[in-house]
Amino acid sequence: MKRYVWGRIIRAIVSVFIVTVITMVMIYTLIPRELIFKTDPVYVKLGGKDDERTQYRYNTYEKLGYVDYVEQKDMCTSYAGGSYDACMAVDSADIQSILPKYEQQGYTVQQFKSGLYYAYRDVPLANQIVSFFRNIIQIDYPGKITDPDNPDMKRGLYVAADYNGVPAIQCVGCKYKYQWYLSASFPWIRTNAIHISLGQSYPSYAYQEIMDVLNSTQGTEKKVDETFETGYQAKSSLILHSCQYKQTATLDRLDKNKFSDNYANCATQKNDPSMVGMSMKIGIIALLIAYLIAIPAGMGMASHKDKFGDKIGTVYINFMIAVPSLAFIFFGWSLGTSVFHLPSAFPVLGAHDVRSYILPVLILALLNTSGIMLWTRRYMIDQASSDYVKFARAKGLSQREIFTRHIMRNAIIPIAQSIPANVILTISGAVLTETVFAIPGTGKLLPDAITDHNNQMIVALTIIYTSLSILSVLLGDLLITKLDPRIQLEEKSGGVQ
Amino acid sequence: MMESADSKFRLVKMDDTASEHINAPKYSYWAAVFKKFLSKKSTIVIMVIALTVIFLSVFDPIISGYDPVVHQNINNASMKFLHPSLKYLFGTNDLGDNLWNVVWMGARNSLGIAFMATAITTTLGVVVGAVWGYSKSMDKWMLEIYNIVANVPFTLVVFVLMYVMGRGIWQLIFAMSVTSWLNTAYFIRVQVLIIRDREYNLASRCLGTSTWNIVKNNILPYLISVIVTSVSRDVPSFISMEVFLAWLGIGVGEKTPSLGKTISGNRTFMTNTPYLFWIPVAVSAVITISLYVAGQSLADAADPRTHM
Repeated sequence: MKRYVWGRIIRAIVSVFIVTVITMVMIYTLIPRELIFKTDPVYVKLGGKDDERTQYRYNTYEKLGYVDYVEQKDMCTSYAGGSYDACMAVDSADIQSILPKYEQQGYTVQQFKSGLYYAYRDVPLANQIVSFFRNIIQIDYPGKITDPDNPDMKRGLYVAADYNGVPAIQCVGCKYKYQWYLSASFPWIRTNAIHISLGQSYPSYAYQEIMDVLNSTQGTEKKVDETFETGYQAKSSLILHSCQYKQTATLDRLDKNKFSDNYANCATQKNDPSMVGMSMKIGIIALLIAYLIAIPAGMGMASHKDKFGDKIGTVYINFMIAVPSLAFIFFGWSLGTSVFHLPSAFPVLGAHDVRSYILPVLILALLNTSGIMLWTRRYMIDQASSDYVKFARAKGLSQREIFTRHIMRNAIIPIAQSIPANVILTISGAVLTETVFAIPGTGKLLPDAITDHNNQMIVALTIIYTSLSILSVLLGDLLITKLDPRIQLEEKSGGVQ
Repeated sequence: MMESADSKFRLVKMDDTASEHINAPKYSYWAAVFKKFLSKKSTIVIMVIALTVIFLSVFDPIISGYDPVVHQNINNASMKFLHPSLKYLFGTNDLGDNLWNVVWMGARNSLGIAFMATAITTTLGVVVGAVWGYSKSMDKWMLEIYNIVANVPFTLVVFVLMYVMGRGIWQLIFAMSVTSWLNTAYFIRVQVLIIRDREYNLASRCLGTSTWNIVKNNILPYLISVIVTSVSRDVPSFISMEVFLAWLGIGVGEKTPSLGKTISGNRTFMTNTPYLFWIPVAVSAVITISLYVAGQSLADAADPRTHM
């Protein structure tokens, strides 16, 4: 069994890898690179200032890993032959002698309007892909940080009380101050030592880590009274466990007021749930309601097969399968807003009012019911015609006993198989429902990334969604082996599939 | 006495063909399908609706000569936002166009996209699926490929492909069918695996029926019902997908009319002139529901087991 699961996991990783590579190759070869600037406000503002725009463009490309880019000042700094100032003059003899070296390395040399030179060369696609995968798992260690202004910090791990007075493993020289710490909520033991990075978002959520875009809280800042390690007291929304190293050169007075060391770059706590949190909250409640409605309904239909209730249920299922979900969502939306006076969009009352959730949750739940009903009915009917049920009837068991003790137990297995998938895939959000109600969840991320030409985000979401759906299928299979010991996932030799 | 009784009987030759006719009632597969299909009144109603919808989508754009690029009444304020009436059954929109024509023009493209994508997925799926079900060596490889592709969410595939290839009708058809044919193929593979080794096929073969006759008389009728089921699921889901993508602004191109484009374009009128939004929504629902139900009934009728 263990061997089988590991085999599945390895295959899963290979599949995710293949899908991600195909996506990256398609995006980075077929989409014109300049399109990423289409919605970038900074780039638009630079219209008319050609040099600055060029500079901004290539700097952005370099940050995103598309090109290697050097300007004349970089070339002159690395040039040992003469003085820096002489080299920096427009069309100086020094720079003329350096340029061929860069051209030899494959750079394309061009001139700003000011006469200064710059050079760029494309990073080969294979290198981009390799560096993407190499950077996925980020491990923090005491030698991580290099700060020229703080050369002799005492690097190392130590155990000390954190700002709450709870012991935590802390670090000097790491990117994060708190490596391992305890938290009041699940998961109780948390770490900053290992991070997953799927690249930086651009142009929307510019230069934020994509994992942070998905996971950090949203809305207005949540300020609490805080006494910092320096004794400084203020209302603050900083999450002190998340503090990262800040280069000494960039530390300002405020940072020095609050912190006695360089770990001053902290995330902020906000009032509303994160995108993932929002989508999961709505999705899981909706799923729960859907199962509570659909399983009894499907069972009822099966036990009254071909009676009136079954026919009504079948009409409902067919209607829900056939009607475009957009039409259904708007139907529910207009009914809910006009008859029950529920808010027409999520932000009207915000994340802290129950009424904001009622309509989207109900609509999402109803959208989920048809599939569950259909299959529950199908499996129950299939079981009802099997021999053991006939035998149970011959034994003289009541219809009810047969249903609850025998048919239910067998019919629930294939239904249970899809539960992990349904739960896990709530993370990817419900695109249409979230769009219609303007819910700040993950559902709109992918369509928005496409309209914004946010290539990094598309690749990251591809890898996330594909891994999640593979993981959920695996968990579903494992769940049914737990429910029904007769099921074996491994293929026996000589057996039929 | 004996002699007189014997004289009433006459010896006849053994007649093979006559015995065949006596034993089995005359059965024609297609006649049985149509008889079964037309036996329910509700099915006929749905079928009429589905055919009307298809008829209107095909012929209204030809008859009306509506050109989605030319807005004849764009400067004529008296032609804009006319509520539905006998003359303008669906009213007129913000550009002074007759919504009736706009809707059927859009429906034609949406239906065309859905039928085309279904045709591609079904043809590829059935052919590959049939071979897949028969060939053991192919099964191994195809299962690996299927496991990779089936795990990628369909919307993700469509989104990424539409992003990479740009918007347009053919791009949309490609994006929607490029992976979904594998699902059809897998579905057919399972069906072929189920029926291939059934006893009646084995019996047929033992009795010396040719492979072609087995395929024609035993396997194909069974597969037809399965294929029709899959088609009747695919067409509405592709139409829904088109509406879904258009709503998010990643469907067919700017200039191409479609149901989804009409719906998402008219969303701004939802509060002031709601008919502009709700009529296309209702039409899309009528199209998908009628096609789905008609298809399901046809699939039921095509299943030879229901012909008893």
